[in-house]
Amino acid sequence: MLLDGLGLVTSFSTVTLVGAGLIVGLIVGALPGLGPLMGIILLLPYAITFPPVQAMGFLIAIYVGGSCGGAISAILLRIPGTPLAAATLFDGYPMAQKGRAADAIGIAIAASALGGVFGGLILILFSPSLAAFAAGFGPPEYAMLAITGLTSIAAVSGHSMLKGLIAGTAGLLLATAGTDEFTAAERFTFGLFELSNGFSIVAIVVGLFAISEMSHLLTGDDLLDRPKLSTARPGFGTVLLVLRRWPNLIRSSTIGACVGALPGAGGVISSFTAYAVAKTFSKSDERYGEGAEGGIVAAESANNATAGGALVPTLALGIPGDAATAVLIGALLILGVFPGPTLFEQHSDIVGGVFLVYMLANIALFVIGILVTPLFVHVLRLRKVVLIPTVLLMCAIGTYAVSSSIFDLWVMFAFGLVGLVLRAGGYPLAPLVIGVILGPLLENNVRRTLLLSHDGLSIFIERPVSATLLFINIALLLCVVFFTMRRLIAGRHSDLSQEDT
Amino acid sequence: MKFTSVFTGAALVLAMIGGPALAEYPERTIESVLPSGAGPAMSVSQIIADAMGKELGVPLTVLATPGAGGIKAFQTALSKPADGYTIIDGYVAPLVLQPILGKADWSYGDFIPLHAAASNAFAIGWRTDETRWSSFEEMMAWGKANPGKLRYSSGQRNNLPHLVMAKALQSYDVVAQNVPYDSPPAANNDVKSGILDFTFVNVGSYKQDPDALKIGLVLSEQPAAKEAFGGAPSIADIDADLGISGLAPMGWDWWLVKKDTPPERVETLRAAMGKVMVDPDVRAKITRLGFVPLDWDHSDYDKIVSGVHDQLSTMADAIKWEEEALKAAK
Amino acid sequence: MTSWFVLGRRFSEWCAIALMLVLVALVYQQVRDVLEPSGMAEGGPYDNAAAYPRGVAMLLLGLVCLQIVLQIVVRGRSGGDTLTWHQLVRPAAVIVTFGLYLGLLGILGFHLASAPMLFAIMVTCGSRQWWKMAVISLGISLGFAWFFESQLDVVLPGGIFNLNIPW
Repeated sequence: MLLDGLGLVTSFSTVTLVGAGLIVGLIVGALPGLGPLMGIILLLPYAITFPPVQAMGFLIAIYVGGSCGGAISAILLRIPGTPLAAATLFDGYPMAQKGRAADAIGIAIAASALGGVFGGLILILFSPSLAAFAAGFGPPEYAMLAITGLTSIAAVSGHSMLKGLIAGTAGLLLATAGTDEFTAAERFTFGLFELSNGFSIVAIVVGLFAISEMSHLLTGDDLLDRPKLSTARPGFGTVLLVLRRWPNLIRSSTIGACVGALPGAGGVISSFTAYAVAKTFSKSDERYGEGAEGGIVAAESANNATAGGALVPTLALGIPGDAATAVLIGALLILGVFPGPTLFEQHSDIVGGVFLVYMLANIALFVIGILVTPLFVHVLRLRKVVLIPTVLLMCAIGTYAVSSSIFDLWVMFAFGLVGLVLRAGGYPLAPLVIGVILGPLLENNVRRTLLLSHDGLSIFIERPVSATLLFINIALLLCVVFFTMRRLIAGRHSDLSQEDT
Repeated sequence: MKFTSVFTGAALVLAMIGGPALAEYPERTIESVLPSGAGPAMSVSQIIADAMGKELGVPLTVLATPGAGGIKAFQTALSKPADGYTIIDGYVAPLVLQPILGKADWSYGDFIPLHAAASNAFAIGWRTDETRWSSFEEMMAWGKANPGKLRYSSGQRNNLPHLVMAKALQSYDVVAQNVPYDSPPAANNDVKSGILDFTFVNVGSYKQDPDALKIGLVLSEQPAAKEAFGGAPSIADIDADLGISGLAPMGWDWWLVKKDTPPERVETLRAAMGKVMVDPDVRAKITRLGFVPLDWDHSDYDKIVSGVHDQLSTMADAIKWEEEALKAAK
Repeated sequence: MTSWFVLGRRFSEWCAIALMLVLVALVYQQVRDVLEPSGMAEGGPYDNAAAYPRGVAMLLLGLVCLQIVLQIVVRGRSGGDTLTWHQLVRPAAVIVTFGLYLGLLGILGFHLASAPMLFAIMVTCGSRQWWKMAVISLGISLGFAWFFESQLDVVLPGGIFNLNIPW
């Protein structure tokens, strides 16, 4: 199958398109607001003028580059370019502040590429079993998975666990705004049609992080000075930094690929979960949240492996793994190719070709990523007097472009103010993002489960996968409670109300 | 001296921005607002938009705006100026059904039609290894013997498939629970794994994997629809008269613009879309997706749409009936 | 490092609590005034749009109460540098400018509103190199507009004059 596709991939035009797609992907990923999904949507009309494998090479490269590009703004500006990069921020930004911005970006790119390749290998080797694994996931399992994702809030909240939980719960609540899928009633929309599909997640993320960060920069006295930050060039050696952490890499990529294989779960769950797991397994001398390389490796390898994992249901079942792969399916349909089991039988060259362009895109991501990093790092040399207004304009235009909506800009602005208050009060912002993203997954699947069940809640324990996940969730929650209590008793004066700034 | 150059600069910029406003329409990107997210419907719109953009000489982009059963897209489009740069991809649900259900305050007469785009039929499907029934009539018999036990999905609640399926169930006096799903593939997956009894299948997902589900009933009496679903039984083959025909039980869209759009711009758009819809290449691409390209131009709009409107109005009580029957069954 | 975020931490903590309480109150108010009258707050999972948000709001309220108790009982260690109110003027001015910009975006359009916004923020930051600032503002605004409008085919807000550059 792979050999069938080889001829389609090794042409000059395919390689050029993959390269072009990656650069576009890195840019749309790095610009706050736009992400891989919007990159694919916006360039779809251009892509469909090519034959299927070349077109897919271009779009998949945007997908791969975009999934990684968000890390660049997270590391340099403390603004996740896409929600996917929210977990990269924890260690990437502190690392950049210590003068290791280029290293941090290098690690993010190398981890993304390696995670992506690993995800791709899983995709090629275990495609049938992953598809079977995904087929066994129904509403009860998704509900349990959402809860697993929510427990990662405990890990990413640092010492301010209670505040993290409050932010996460507020996120769940914010996610209920919009049209309720079950009653078709408009909830908490205040009569605004713009809210009928809920708050734009992109607007929330950009607002929360960007406005509070820019305000923070504005309190400094160095607005007009040229920053003295030393910015070394990242070398191809960063790949060694990542490979040294191979257990973390493999573990996070596996989490990423498995989550990706589940339609509808997505990269945010995988990157946060992988981060939480990596933090739990870390050695005591690694200080997660203060610039640990392992944190970036976990988050970035997981979210790019998810991109690979998401291609499994896309190609094997014709079921989109996430919104971006839904658009990829759309592109294939326009090109006259129907993803699904029959595709494997009838067009094995195309399936092989798509797998190969995916692998190619990840390898190219590493090479091109490392080469263009100095351009991005240059941002840190900008005087803040220019940087701040430019970032604000970028946030505005990037958020607007997602759905051509000025209303979304006001949502961004409002969440900017919310972010200011929360940050000033010592609340971590990431849990709120986790809550907003997992909220619909949790609510809809719990309600769906109850409708499907003929005898109430027992469905959660009757199904083996759901029961296993339930057990894991209970164990995780007990762990969280146990460690919190132990720290409380040991620390006497409460760490609960204090956070590490 | 200084001020003169400032003024010159400002004038230059204004000339650059404002000048082309006098140029010929269209001179910049046109947006077509689609009332759904990514999926086969978006691909069809993309195909038409692409060809139309080439015809007009400017990019024509599809703006996917899902939410509130398509109402968000319509309201988004209506909030933009009537200058011919915003096209409304008028799917039946937000155009006809939502006003009937009292969820939208416009009527189909409030828009200027360009041209009909495409239609797609729905079907009912169940798992391939189903042992409880082998035909729609047998399923209805099972449902009657086990009131309130059947679980099905029409995608969203109160959408067109829901209306048609509720109507079909009502004709057999069968009470079943609709379970909303945000993505049709997820519902298909749950039918296959056996926790959902049957689901609506759109022709796009059928084409992607024809063997995934057994197609039990095509919800259209038209031969083309039956053929698109591989010759599965259709409502023309069953005894009960569901009182639905033509476009009424199908998804379709008509491209529209806002009411006060300048007539010469409407004509430009109509000419371009008319050309595109007879282009054999475009038609072939649409047909390949299982959709049927439609031939009606703007002059047929009132007649065709009012016919659908009347049929759907008489069917609207089927959902109400289902809600009350479910409450009674509990 | 995060000096001004430490300024008035206790005050900020109470602000955050207030924000959460407003959120909870809004949920209850909306359920009572909008969902209940339309019958969307009763019945099972198919008919009840209010049960889940009400449950989550209750959980949030519980967590916030716990936090309030902690804030009262545990006297926070006030650490970090303090900042004068004077230093908050600049961020506040930029936020107001940005808000004003978003408001004007719908009226003036992207092309007329963006460069003045960039210019104004640079002035707020203390720069006085007028010509340089003007060139930079125009350059950045046009650069972004070119990338989005001509490369990505995004239609930027045209405002009431419907100003869009046909690149």
